[in-house]
Parts: sequence; structure tokens; C-alpha cells
Amino acid sequence: MAIKIRIPTPMRQLTGGVDMAEVQGATVAALLGQLCDKFSGMDKRLFKQPGELNRFINIYVNDEDIRFLSNLETPVKDGDDVSIVPAIAGG
Amino acid sequence: MALSDQAQLLEKADPALARYNRQMLWEPIGIEGQKKLRNARVLMVGCGALGTVLANTLGRAGVGHLTIIDRDFIEINNLQRQVLFDQQDIADQLPKSVAARRKLAAINSDVQVEAVVADVNHTNIEQYAADKDLLLDGTDNFETRFLINDVSIKLNIPWIYGACISAMGLGMVIRPGITPCLRCIFETAPPPGMNPTCDTAGVLGPTVNVVASWQAMEAMKLLTGNIAAVSKSLFSFDLWDNRYQQLNVSRAREIADCPACKHRNFEYLTGKFGSSATSLCGRNAIQITQPAGYRVDFPQIAAGLRAAGEATFNKFMLKCTIAEGPADNRKNFELTLFADGRAIIKGTNEAAVAKAIYAKYVGS
Repeated sequence: MAIKIRIPTPMRQLTGGVDMAEVQGATVAALLGQLCDKFSGMDKRLFKQPGELNRFINIYVNDEDIRFLSNLETPVKDGDDVSIVPAIAGG
Repeated sequence: MALSDQAQLLEKADPALARYNRQMLWEPIGIEGQKKLRNARVLMVGCGALGTVLANTLGRAGVGHLTIIDRDFIEINNLQRQVLFDQQDIADQLPKSVAARRKLAAINSDVQVEAVVADVNHTNIEQYAADKDLLLDGTDNFETRFLINDVSIKLNIPWIYGACISAMGLGMVIRPGITPCLRCIFETAPPPGMNPTCDTAGVLGPTVNVVASWQAMEAMKLLTGNIAAVSKSLFSFDLWDNRYQQLNVSRAREIADCPACKHRNFEYLTGKFGSSATSLCGRNAIQITQPAGYRVDFPQIAAGLRAAGEATFNKFMLKCTIAEGPADNRKNFELTLFADGRAIIKGTNEAAVAKAIYAKYVGS
């Protein structure tokens, strides 16, 4: 199924300014894998190593932290809202 | 009795509170809340974009004692969003915390403002935080935020995280022992250079205002004892995309194996983590080093530096000359950045100046 993931502003330099990406998959891992395939440098920004997110990136499905769900294996379905929330430092 | 009548009586009972009439009419604050604000002692770390909105809002609201710490001076490109400063402050070459105190004195002389011109670091933050009721984040880097997080937990003082870039903002209230802390949410900072900063990607004034106003509101709830109303979520928004979220972080404390709030291992407060700055004798330069394991991405940093100056790099190092300082006293600093995040910043012998340049253009 196709899910739209909004790219947060601090990561849009990796997507050439694209603010929304449509990816397919039944789990968060599958969605993020496709996102990394689409955009060079995304894997390094999201993942510390394969299967392990960087600890300055959080993923939420319908405003719930995937750490409270099934982590990267959290299932997704049509209409789910998947958010990438990176730590930001400006101020 | 109507609230307006009640407020008039309150003013007669304590005329010094008359200026807060509209605020006291809001029942959850009332006269008791206003008195609590007057007795409150708040530490504000950083007085740039977020910090000036916080100081302006809380000073006007009658928070009795504000300690404002900042290491920086005012530049013309600050005025677009740093609401307490003006062109005269730049002409007078005032440090930010001193200029903020001057403005607040004119706005509300009831408020005691202590202005500190200093770099907040692991050697001094405890002394500034020790007698405070609340710590507020007006900083521009992760290192200082993790330091605030550590000291908050160690001394059991709440703090309010706020951060922004371009049109995006984040905020969270941290109450030690009750809510998750910042490291439960973001255990580590991105390596230097990985994330854009406000000085490389820009920031819009309204973004700053929303984040800092949200922080100020949460501060008022905490300081007046309206605990049930305090946010329990990670507030995230993008004003450009019209997207606002209250992200659920309620279980982060039990799930995260947090070094700070679970193990009370204060890695930033003890100086184990975080950068260190060393003066390079006789070279008018400061070296900034990062903990082992950092790698920086030169093409990304060079792209971010475009607005500041042309950067050149090879696989070993990146070099860029950056002009900083007041218009009539602009200085060139030469930034040399190595692949492990170490930098030499030439043009100053002051660690605080070098750290500010590093935070602005490389990130930390």
C-alpha cells in the first residue's frame, strides 16, 4: 500500500526540497527502506546501522512513537500518518 | 462576584499587581498565581531568538527574578527575530544578556534581571541553576541542552526544551522523575555538520515566536502550580506546512534505557561528553574537539556554509573564512574543520567565541 511520508524541513536538503514522499510497504521498516532507496544520504541520516535508527531520529505512526508499538516492524495501513521527527538544535 | 470586580478588589489589596489585571482575570492564575510568578526564580540559558521572546513574555508577565546567561553579542542579522534588541544595542556594542536586561528594566521595573555574559558549560551551570524554580532553554545547540537536562535531573528542577529551524519547531516540558527527559527522546545529538543550523538553513521569526510562546505558557503553568494543565507531549509543528502534532512520549521513560534520568549518569555535566575548547598558544586560535567516533560530511557542511563564505575541502579537511561581529567591527575567522569533527577557529583566543561559531556553522 502507498503511504505518504512528510519530509521534515531539516532533511529536505537530502530530497532536493521534496516535502512529501510516497512509498509502499506494510511495515515502517519497508517504508523507510524505500525512502532510503529514493534519496541518497537518507540511510545515513536515519540509520546508525541496518535495522537500528539513529538515536536522534524518532518515527511516529499516528502520533505514537514506534518504540511503544513494534519498533521498525510496526505495521502500517492506508491512511496512517507516518512522521519523521529529527532532533533539532536551532534557537 | 464577577471576575472583573474580583480583579479590582485584588488590585486594591495589592496595587503593585494592577498591571497584571488581564492576566489575573484568567482564573487559573488569579492573584495567587500572580504572587507565585512574582516570587519565582527562573534561569534562562541563551538569549537569542527563543531567549528574547521568553524574556520579553515572562518579564511582562511578572516573573520576579530572571537570570539571563548568554555568551554572544548582537548582530544586524539577529534583529529579524530577536525581539528585545534594536539597532541602538548594536551601536552600543552590548552583549545580548546586558541588552536584554536594559530592555526589561524599561518594560517592567518590578522584575529583577541578572545578566550574565558567559559561556554555559559543565563547570558553571550548577551554580547558576542551584536556587532556581525553573530552567528555560533559549540555546542553539544540543550540547548545552543535554547539559541543562543533566543539571535539571540532578537538582530536581523542571526545564522546558524548545528548538526551531526554518518553519519547524519542537518543544517539551521535562519534569524530573515524572516525565521522560530529553535524552529519553533523543539519546544522542546528531554528529557535527549532519543537521542544518539556523545560520546555514535559516529560520523565520514566527517559528521562533510560536516555540518560545509555547515554552512561556508552559512556564507560567508550572510556576503558578497549574500542573494538570502542563503539556505531557512532544509538541511538533511546521508553520509553513500548517502541520501541528502532539506526539505521545508518555512511555518513553520506561522504554528508554536513559543514561541521564534512569541511571543518573550525567555524562554532559561531568564533562565526559560534549566538546572541549583549548586555546592554541600564540596562534590566536581555539581548537574545539569532539568525543571519539564523530565523522563529519564535508560536502554537506560546505553547502550549508554558502551563505557565510566559500568553503573548500578535500578528504582531510574543510576550510572557510567567516565574517562575524558588529558591522563596524567585523572580524574574519578562519574555520578549519577535520573529518573527526575537530576544528581550529583562528581569529580569537576566546573559547566562547569559537564555540559560538562552531555551533552556528557546524552544529553541535
